[in-house]
Amino acid sequence: MTAAISILALLAGAYLVAVLEGWVSMGRMSITGPLASGAAMLGRESFVPKRRDRVFFEVAPPLLLVSALLAAAVLPLSPGLIVADLATGALFVNAALAYVMVALLMAGWAPNGAYAMVGGFRFLGQLVAYSMLIVMPITAVAMRAESLVTTEVVESQAALPNAIYQPIGFVLFLLAGMAVCFLPPFDLPTAPGELAGGVEAEYTGWRLAVFRLARLVLVVTVAAAVSVFYLGGWLGPVFPPWAWSAAKTLAVAALMLLAGRHVPRLRETHVLEWGWKVGIPLALLNIFVVGVMILVVG
Amino acid sequence: MSASEIFQPFFVGIFGLAAIWFGVVVFRTSSMVRSALALLFSMTAIGAMFLAMEAEFLGVLQIMMMATEMAIMAIFMVMYMMDPGGMEGMDMTHQKYASIFAGILATLGILAVVFLVEWGPVAEAAHPEEQTRMLGIEIMERSMLIFETAGVTILTAMIAATAIAIERRKS
Repeated sequence: MTAAISILALLAGAYLVAVLEGWVSMGRMSITGPLASGAAMLGRESFVPKRRDRVFFEVAPPLLLVSALLAAAVLPLSPGLIVADLATGALFVNAALAYVMVALLMAGWAPNGAYAMVGGFRFLGQLVAYSMLIVMPITAVAMRAESLVTTEVVESQAALPNAIYQPIGFVLFLLAGMAVCFLPPFDLPTAPGELAGGVEAEYTGWRLAVFRLARLVLVVTVAAAVSVFYLGGWLGPVFPPWAWSAAKTLAVAALMLLAGRHVPRLRETHVLEWGWKVGIPLALLNIFVVGVMILVVG
Repeated sequence: MSASEIFQPFFVGIFGLAAIWFGVVVFRTSSMVRSALALLFSMTAIGAMFLAMEAEFLGVLQIMMMATEMAIMAIFMVMYMMDPGGMEGMDMTHQKYASIFAGILATLGILAVVFLVEWGPVAEAAHPEEQTRMLGIEIMERSMLIFETAGVTILTAMIAATAIAIERRKS
């Protein structure tokens, strides 16, 4: 039952994100737009490249979806509404999101096409830049909660959300989250207008539909993770817990979609440089400051 | 016999067989990326074995670390091999007899350990949260020096490797 509600909530969220993405990229909002383009994609024939790597080609889109769903499974929508309340929840989010890269690497390698392969390997470079900026801010969050259980992480923010308690971690995690979802300006693996779709380039029909759906679910999952780790998840006055979770998740998703719209796409070397020279020292500083604050303020 | 007593060995076995199968796939392909990803899934299956054995933290850690590690290995394999796609019919195998001999010897050794050791009663796994706490205390107390030494050694190796890789400035 919990799993069914969570999946329905995720799909609803993914649909809203699709509407939102259409709005920010096209400039006009269309409620039925994603439905129409989804139906169009499913109606088209799904071509396959000639000398593809069959297993990788078929596995990549579902793997992207599965990794997003697994990460979502440990994030609570309200106190009782969580698919798997693992003792290592915060770590598990990161473990599941690591397979996003595996899926994109497979999608890039499989079609035996230049654009796709460049896109896939670019994402691997991007991962080297952002992965520490996912783990290290989560470390500081777990330090404050004294637990890796996601529900306890939310409860630890009753007095003050982590976004205010550890703003450096919040900003870093949000940016790294955008990089996980390959949203602009970190859309190196797909790079519309330059790589002709990159990792998506050789996918058509229902396979592309699965790929796009997986990416939307991924955006919702990462936004939910930001809400759970930094914005106090379901906590809030008056409205029921699930409404707060939904509102915060959608607000974060909107922020992630809007933030990079007017910024030029970052080159992979620059992403790496900033990730390692600026991001990681800041993340270490964040852990240090949070440690001092826990000892001094509590 | 409770349900968990049946299912637990069943899943440990299934994931174990999956780990072995993907391990075999590593050597049955000539494509570097396939080989690296097969190794990844072999390692992931071992992570799943940990989960089936109720070692949650270790399982999740294994599943997380291996994804990144194997992908980075794939980069280097593609970079340095002359035929990364395995489409030119390159043969990656060598010293076949020596490896068969080593494989059989290792298998016999493992089987000997499995059957000859008196394992005693099965220990009850602690609650997952307790496991995480115990692991943390282990790392921060008794094994701290080992972890610190390993960490500093790896850091030194990273710095040294970078220093070697950088082109010398001609002054």
